[in-house]
Amino acid sequence: MKLILSTSNIMISGETVIRHLTEKSNVELINSLRANFQAAQQSAPPKDPTITTTTTTTPYPSWTTLHNDALYIPTTTFTHGLSEDRPQYDITVKLFYLPGIPASRRCAHTREAIDLVLKELHVSSIDLLIVSFPGILFDADDDSEEEEEEEEEEKEEGSSDTGSEEPDDFDSMIQTWRTLEELQSAGMIAQLGVAEFGSERLARFLPHTTVKPSVDQINLKDCCVVPKSLILYARQEKIQLLTHNDCMDVLPVGTTRELLGPGDRGAGILASSPEMQDGVAGDVEPQWVVKYTAVVKDRGVVENKGYFALADVGSCVQERSG
Amino acid sequence: MWKVLVTCAKTNVGRSFRALGTALDWPEAKKRADQVRRWGIEQLLANWRRAKGKERNALLWGDEVEYLVVALDDEAKKARLSLAQAEILKSLAKDEASWKEGNSPLSQNKEHDGEEPPHFHPEFGRFMLEATPGKPWGIDFKDLLKVESNMKWRREVAKAHMAPNEHPITLTTFPRLGTKDDYIQPYYLPSGPALRSQFVPDEIANPHIRFPTLAANIRSRRGRKIELNVPIYKDENTPQPFKDPTVNYDLHDWPEDDDVRNGAAKDDHVYMDAMAFGMGSCCLQITFQAKNMTEGRKLYDQLSPLGPILLALTAATPIYKGFLVDTDVRWNQIGGAVDDRTREELGELPLKNDRWRIPKSRYASNSTYISQDPRLRKEYLDPELIVDEDIKKSLVDGGMDDLLATHFAHLFIRDPLVIFSEDLEELDLNKADHFENLQSTNWQHMRFKPPPPDKDDIGWRVEFRSMEIQMTDFENAAFSIFIVLVTRAILSFDLNFYIPIQRTTENMETAHARNAVLEQKFYFRKDPFSRRRQNPHSSNGSNGSSATSSADNTPPASPSLSPVESEYELMTISDIINGSADGSFPGLIPLVESYLNSVNVDVETRCSLASYLELIRKRANGTLWTGAKWIREFVAAHPGYKQDSVVSEEICYDLITAVDEMTQKEGRHGTVGWELLRGKRN
Repeated sequence: MKLILSTSNIMISGETVIRHLTEKSNVELINSLRANFQAAQQSAPPKDPTITTTTTTTPYPSWTTLHNDALYIPTTTFTHGLSEDRPQYDITVKLFYLPGIPASRRCAHTREAIDLVLKELHVSSIDLLIVSFPGILFDADDDSEEEEEEEEEEKEEGSSDTGSEEPDDFDSMIQTWRTLEELQSAGMIAQLGVAEFGSERLARFLPHTTVKPSVDQINLKDCCVVPKSLILYARQEKIQLLTHNDCMDVLPVGTTRELLGPGDRGAGILASSPEMQDGVAGDVEPQWVVKYTAVVKDRGVVENKGYFALADVGSCVQERSG
Repeated sequence: MWKVLVTCAKTNVGRSFRALGTALDWPEAKKRADQVRRWGIEQLLANWRRAKGKERNALLWGDEVEYLVVALDDEAKKARLSLAQAEILKSLAKDEASWKEGNSPLSQNKEHDGEEPPHFHPEFGRFMLEATPGKPWGIDFKDLLKVESNMKWRREVAKAHMAPNEHPITLTTFPRLGTKDDYIQPYYLPSGPALRSQFVPDEIANPHIRFPTLAANIRSRRGRKIELNVPIYKDENTPQPFKDPTVNYDLHDWPEDDDVRNGAAKDDHVYMDAMAFGMGSCCLQITFQAKNMTEGRKLYDQLSPLGPILLALTAATPIYKGFLVDTDVRWNQIGGAVDDRTREELGELPLKNDRWRIPKSRYASNSTYISQDPRLRKEYLDPELIVDEDIKKSLVDGGMDDLLATHFAHLFIRDPLVIFSEDLEELDLNKADHFENLQSTNWQHMRFKPPPPDKDDIGWRVEFRSMEIQMTDFENAAFSIFIVLVTRAILSFDLNFYIPIQRTTENMETAHARNAVLEQKFYFRKDPFSRRRQNPHSSNGSNGSSATSSADNTPPASPSLSPVESEYELMTISDIINGSADGSFPGLIPLVESYLNSVNVDVETRCSLASYLELIRKRANGTLWTGAKWIREFVAAHPGYKQDSVVSEEICYDLITAVDEMTQKEGRHGTVGWELLRGKRN
């Protein structure tokens, strides 16, 4: 079974997107998922008094929906589109392919993710799709030694979470890009972008593309230390360098389990143990995360921003690669 | 068009430079006041009906930077205000004309290729200039990058039209305005018929008939001269009690000269007696165009509580008339300098001839909220708001909603000050001149501006008016852009900064204290987030607001039920700007950062924005000094300073020279001003 997690419009609830300096940068996703689950639980119909349960959590069937073997957490009605005409907006979508998930699934994952966003925003196309491949960091030659060390540390941090952190191999990136190019030529996406590519990787990548990335999105921890080579190369290739502050591993398995599991911090979706019938049984494996933002172009107002995440769950979760 | 969008903030001259008419003296003007108000209201209604449906206007915004023109006499070591406004503006206008023909030396500046030349405008003081960008800024983030360089360009252009020893200086006030020496050039004797000031001559003001009339009619309506008493900063050797030594008790030119003999100058205060001491101040004002009237009204309300915070954060006014004073900002001095209230209106005499007691000057913090916002609780409104009920009734009868009608009926309790008899012959409903007569002489810290009737492409606008001008263009760009980003965060997150409006009035007073930015606390709303107004995911299809039904396990406390007093508390500016340490208040900068993380910003822009936000973050937490603190420290460290609060001609000259150097070098590599710009010497 698939679990489709959604945040709804996180601009409305606001506080979940404020990150304090000490917190990890995927806190926006995690907090807003949690907040959206809680809001849905609270507005669910009152519990049937005939059902006695020791847990204080609202039973998940009352605030989630099962449809075509996909459990929407919470129930997503797709009733709210954008308030103005489509041309008023810049719609940017960032798709995070998660570590350890075989590249062969990305074609399907990409379509799945884009479809959900189009449905949510009531639009037929998006302006920019940025894809984030797992395990990619700036090319070492672009960065100073000091930064390399930082990245090493980060890498270790990341791998401790998933145990499967490894750089994406180049061929599968090209493979994935073909899918994106198809979607682009079908008119579903106006522009494509990549994330965390250094100048060397870009130079290796570009010759294999028909549709060039128009954006390279990089994480600026300490602003203004962008490698000069990257700036020059991007300018030459007319690739816009944009900033972001998403983290490398946006939805680790452990976090997902905690988010959906029983207990104080969980939504009570997953069974508390294999023998218990109090929830969905089996292992959970996040597949991808997609973030979307709709910005009113000439006013710079973010009208809608949210995430979808998809996880497989069950006793026969597909083999992980590697 | 652009000039109309930003409009000259303080005195509304931009639009009003017109064929000279006959300006009415006060007794005559007073007789026609009702007519002007009535016609103004009719123009407002006509315009409101035309414009209330305007939709989808883009965000356009503009900044206004004001300069003092200071002439340096390097031999005599003297800095003087130069009354060269007219000559400079004439030369600038000539250049702007030749620009359009493509042969101006200005258009050779490659860095600004494709940019419209900046606009320059006269201001009240004849030693002042105001400059605005050639066309309004948009929200394209690349536009934000141009602001600082455009400000620098404006300064360059202004400088190029001045005498070699003259400099455009962005200090709020000239430290020695109104002293006994020759602080202006050319020199004129004080005590003229319009200002009747014993410190400044009539020639200090722009000679356009509007300005002397404005000054004279304010004085005449008030029934006495302007009276400003600013507490002296008491240093080691300051006389106790301090009696302003520049006051002349033996002057007998005008009846108003009796004022000081009747106690107008107070002990322990610096005494000033003319409009020029206030309206001669330079400010940094920002005007935004909203998407429609609704959004404009929302921004007006939400920015209002930020006014005093930004005033304290930009504090830059520690000197008046050659003395260090105990306040850090200009605001109340301008308020006092244009205070036309009579003794009856002030509450000093029982009401006999006047209609109301009026608690605030025409130049003061704003007193109304105008947004039709469900979050606006009636407890936030001023219960003692003075409103002209007849005017309110005509507005409501004309179809305007109660809140907006109340706002304008509040502004219209004032008298029009400058009336040209020619304008009273016929009412033109396609103009806004009578409306603007009142609207633009209500100098509140926020201004809500209807679209000009003759400009179809301009929408509803809001002006944020409390900030002090900063000494460098880097700082002015930083504060301008910060406010723009705050408005985007307000709209994107639907933030709620409402507090009872009287608390904002109190905050405005608090902002005056010396070093208020670090030492005072301000009322601010604890939780700026709106609750989820609806939950589209609720499985019972409820359309919101019932999320607190008693059937729930853990109903969150409904914010609408809690007492208003529990919604806000006293906070430090650092907490308001940077967020509180315990995380209970998110902070304006983190909110702006979150906004920026939600939009596509290119690397170069993000880096510039980071340096602007860094400045504001560090001003708020005290790492960097305010302009006021830097000026105080400069004076204190000057070898010529005798710890007696006196800012001598020599200190003033060195200070102006240092400020001029600072605008060029911006504190880089330990140059002057690093304490307020960089925080470290390298």
